[in-house]
Amino acid sequence: MTILTNRRGLLRAAGGIATAGLPLPAFAQGSPPPKPDRIVVNASGGGMATQLRRSYFAEFERLHGIRVVDTSPVDFGKLRAMVTSGNPEWTVTEIGGQDVDRAKELNLLEPIDTSIVDLSRYPAAGRNSHAFIGSAYSTVLGFRSDVFRDGSHPKGWAEFWDVRRFPGARSLRNHPVDNLEFALLADGVPMDQIYPIDMDRAFRKLDEIRPHISVWWSTGAQPAQMLVDREVVLATGWNGRFFELARRNAPVGSEFMQGSLKSSAYGIPRGTRQAYWGQQLFQVMTNPRLQAMYATELSYAGLHPDTASFVAEDIRPLLPTAPVNLERQFWLNVGWWTENGARAQERWNRWMLQRG
Amino acid sequence: MSSPGDSRRTTARRRETALFLLAVPALLLLGIIFAWPVLRLLAMSVEDGTLANFEKATLDELYLYVLFDSVKIAAMVMAICLLVAYPVAFWLSRAGRWGVALGMFALLLPFWTSVLVRTYAWLVLLGRNGVVNRWLRDAGLIDAPLPLLHNTSGVLIGMVHVLLPYMVFPIYASLLRIDPDLSRAAEGLGAPAWRSFLRVTFPLSLPGVSAGCALVFVLSLGFFITPALLGGGRVIMVSMLIEQQVREFLDWPFAAALSTVLLVATLAIYALIGRITRGARHA
Amino acid sequence: MELSVKGIVRRFGPVTALGGVDLDVAEGEFLTILGPSGSGKTTLLKTVAGFEIPDEGRVLLGGEDVTLAPPRRRDVGMVFQNYALFPHMSVAQNVAFPLEMRRRPRDEVKRRVIEALRLVELEGYGDRLPRQLSGGQQQRVALARAVVFGPRLLLLDEPFGALDRKLRESLQLEVRRLQRQLRLTTLFITHDQEEALIMSDRIAVMDKGRIEQVGAPGDLYAHPATRFVADFLGESNLLDGSASAGHAAIPGFGAVPLPAGQPDGGVTLLLRPEALRIAADAAAMPCRGQGKVLETVFLGQSAKLRMALDGGGEVLARLPLRPSDPPPAREGETVAVGFAPEDLHVVPRG
Repeated sequence: MTILTNRRGLLRAAGGIATAGLPLPAFAQGSPPPKPDRIVVNASGGGMATQLRRSYFAEFERLHGIRVVDTSPVDFGKLRAMVTSGNPEWTVTEIGGQDVDRAKELNLLEPIDTSIVDLSRYPAAGRNSHAFIGSAYSTVLGFRSDVFRDGSHPKGWAEFWDVRRFPGARSLRNHPVDNLEFALLADGVPMDQIYPIDMDRAFRKLDEIRPHISVWWSTGAQPAQMLVDREVVLATGWNGRFFELARRNAPVGSEFMQGSLKSSAYGIPRGTRQAYWGQQLFQVMTNPRLQAMYATELSYAGLHPDTASFVAEDIRPLLPTAPVNLERQFWLNVGWWTENGARAQERWNRWMLQRG
Repeated sequence: MSSPGDSRRTTARRRETALFLLAVPALLLLGIIFAWPVLRLLAMSVEDGTLANFEKATLDELYLYVLFDSVKIAAMVMAICLLVAYPVAFWLSRAGRWGVALGMFALLLPFWTSVLVRTYAWLVLLGRNGVVNRWLRDAGLIDAPLPLLHNTSGVLIGMVHVLLPYMVFPIYASLLRIDPDLSRAAEGLGAPAWRSFLRVTFPLSLPGVSAGCALVFVLSLGFFITPALLGGGRVIMVSMLIEQQVREFLDWPFAAALSTVLLVATLAIYALIGRITRGARHA
Repeated sequence: MELSVKGIVRRFGPVTALGGVDLDVAEGEFLTILGPSGSGKTTLLKTVAGFEIPDEGRVLLGGEDVTLAPPRRRDVGMVFQNYALFPHMSVAQNVAFPLEMRRRPRDEVKRRVIEALRLVELEGYGDRLPRQLSGGQQQRVALARAVVFGPRLLLLDEPFGALDRKLRESLQLEVRRLQRQLRLTTLFITHDQEEALIMSDRIAVMDKGRIEQVGAPGDLYAHPATRFVADFLGESNLLDGSASAGHAAIPGFGAVPLPAGQPDGGVTLLLRPEALRIAADAAAMPCRGQGKVLETVFLGQSAKLRMALDGGGEVLARLPLRPSDPPPAREGETVAVGFAPEDLHVVPRG
C-alpha cells in the first residue's frame, strides 16, 4: 500500500525533526510572559462556540484580562500546515479524538504543562501528555419519538439493521469511523471484541443496510435536521445534537445503547507564541463548576469527577459519561483508526461508488 | 557608432519595456499566488522519487471513475447554467434601469449568504417533506415525494444556484458590448428577431459564453460542500477526495498528484471550450 | 410620392421629439433633413425605418401605410452613423446578409454581392473582415449592403461624420453618383449645412421637432422662410428694423426700400455677407453706411470682415479677392459700407 509506506516515511521525517530540536522547559520558573491583547481558540463553531464562551472563555477573560477570539472549523490539515510553516495563528485548537495520537507523532503539539494545568483528580482516560481532554461525546442512535413511541425504538445496532421490525428511511455518516463498528455489533460481535476490525465482515453487513440508507450524512447538523424534517426516522449522530433537539421539545429521542464514545481534545499548536496562555486556558477548563455549565447546555461532559454533582439531576442520565450510559457504550479505538484509517476510507469510497 | 535609425529603435524598445514593467506587479502576484504553489504541488507529488502517486491517481479505477464523474457533473452544471443564464443575461442587457437594478439585486443576493447556508436552504426546500414536494402533493401533481435531494439532481440544483451568477455576468457584459445598431441593422436588412439573434447577437456574445462556461466549469470541479451535503453521499467529486487526503490522512503527496491530474484535466477542457466557441463564432 | 410622412408626433415623457412632421419625397429624389443635434431628425429617420412607432401620424411607402410595420417588412436600406457592419462576418457575408434574409438562391446572392462590391469599387475585398478595412472602405461596404437588395428607400444617418475632410468630399460625390445611377429615393440626415447644399435635390430644415422649410438648396439659401433657416444655412446678417410706406429704417443704413406690398411694422431683413461692398466699391451702392473694421480673416479666394456700424450693430462682409489684390481694409480702420436693395430678403417669419 503506497499510502501507508508514504505515511511511515512522513512520520519518520517528522520524528527526526522532533529529536533534532532541543525540548525547551515550558516556563518552568519565574514570572509569566507578558500578556497579549488576545488569544485565538479554534473549535467546531456553532452552538459549541457559544457555550465555550459562556462557560470558559468568559471566565478566562475575567481572570487574565486577555480577549479570546474564536475561529472554526477544526481542520487537522491546517494545523499541520500552520506548525510546518511556523508561527501558528491558533493559540489552542480542538483536535478530533482520532487525530490526537497522530498529532503527537507528527510533533504538532506543545506538551501539557501540568505545573499549570492541574489534572491530579482526572481519571486516566482524561490524562494525555500533549492534549487536554475537554469532554466526552458519543455517536448514538437518534430516532423520531412520534414514530417509535414509548420506548419502542431500536436499541442497539442489530435492531437498527432490522428493517422489518423498524421500518423507515435511515441515515448513516458518510465515513467508515463508527459505521464499521456498528456493522460488526449488528452482526453479533460483542462490544469488547470489535477490535481489530474485520473489514470484510463489516462491509458485508453494511451491504445489507445500504438500500435503506436514504442519506449518507457529512456534517453533524445533518442527521438532526433530517430527523426534524422527517426526511428519515432513524439516524446516527452525535449525542449533543440530539440532546439539543430534545431540549427544544422536537420529537427526536436518542439511545446510548452501543454508542461509540470518544473524547474531544484540545491542543496547543507547537511554536505558537502564546503557548503559556493556552495552558492557562486549559487550567480554567478543568474547573468542574464550569464543566457542569457546559454539560448542562450541550450534554458534553468534562472529565473532572466532580462535574456530575454540579449538573441538575434530570440531565445527568443524558450525559454520555453518566455511569449507566458508560457501561452500555464502547470507547472508539483511536489506535486502530490511526493505523488503518486511510485503508478503511479508501475501501469505503470504493464501496460508496458501487451503485445500489 | 549608431545611426539615428538605431536610436529611434532604442527609444521604441524602451517604451515597450516601460509598458511591460506595468504588467510586472500582476505577473509577480500571479507567480506568487499561483505558479509557485502549483510547482510546489507538483514537486510534492513526486517527492518519494517515483511516479507511484500519479500511477495510482490515473490508473486506479476508483480515482478514474471519480474524476470522470466530476467532469460529467461539472459539464452538466455548466450546460444547465448556460441554458438558464443566457435568457437572464439577455433580458438584463435590454432591461431598463429599474429592471437592471432588480435583476442585479436578485443575482447578487445569494453572494451575501455563505454557500453553507444556501445549501441548507435547499435541504429545507427539496427534502421528501420539503416545501417543493409539499406543494406538488397539495396540488395533486404527485402521489409520492419526488427524490430531489440526496442524489445527482440535488447536487445539480444546488451547484447551479451557487454558480449561476458566474455565467450570467460574463454573458451580460459581452451582450452590453454589442453595438445595439447591429441588431437594428439586421432587422432593417430583413431579419426577423430570431434570425437577427442567431446570426448577429449570439455569435458576438460567444466570448462571454466561453468565459462563463470556463468559469462555471472550473469552479464546479472544485466544489465539495454542496455535493457532499446535497448528494447524500452518493455523489463523489474528485475535490472531495483531495480534501479527504489533505485533511484526514495528511497524505499530501497523493493529494498533490490528484490535484495535478485535476488541474491538467481542467486546462485541457478549458482549451477545448475556447476552441469550440471560437469555431462556432466563425462558422 | 415614394415616401410620405403625415403629421408624425413622437413624445418621450415630457419631451416632444417630433411635433407634427409632414414630408414628401419623390421617387428618385435625394432629400436631406438638416438640423442641429436635438432637432428630432434622428427620431424622424428611425420612424421612417421602423425602429420608432410614432404616437400620432402615418408613414407611407409607395402609397402603402407602413406606420406599424416592423423594419424588416419595409424594404428600406439604411447606412448607420458608425456603419453597423457585422464584425464577425466578412465583407461578402455582410453584403449577402439582406439577400439571405430574403432567401434568394445562392448563385443570385453571389452574383449580386459581386455587383454591389463592384459598384462601390471594392472588388476583391469580399473575404476581408470589416476591421481590416479603412473607415472609408467600411462606409462603402455599408452602402453596398444597404443597396444590394434593391430597397424602395435608402436612409443615410450622418454617414460621413467620422471621416476626414478629403475622404468625406470624395465619398459625398460618390454617394450622389450612385444614388443617381440607381435612381434611389434617398433620405439623408446631417447637421452639416455645407454637405446638405452639395448633395441634395431638396433640403428640409428641422428645428425643435418641426420642419421649418423644405426647398431646393438655392431657394432655401436665397429665400429662407424663417429666421432659423436664414441663420442655420450659410452665413447671414439679420437686420431688424421697422417698415413704413415701403421703406424700412435700419440702424446704420437709414431708410432702405422694400419690395412692393410689404406691410408696415417690424421686419427682419436678411443680407448675405457677399452682398456687402466696402470703401470705394461701396460708393456705387444705393444703400450706404459707415463702420469700423473689428476683425479681418483671410480665406484664400475671399476675405471676411466683421464691422461695427456707426449707427449701432455689427455686420459681416465677405469680399472676393484675386491673388494680386491687397488686403481690403485694416483692422481699426473706418470705411464706407453699402449694398444694393435687391439683395435684401425679407424673412417672412422673423
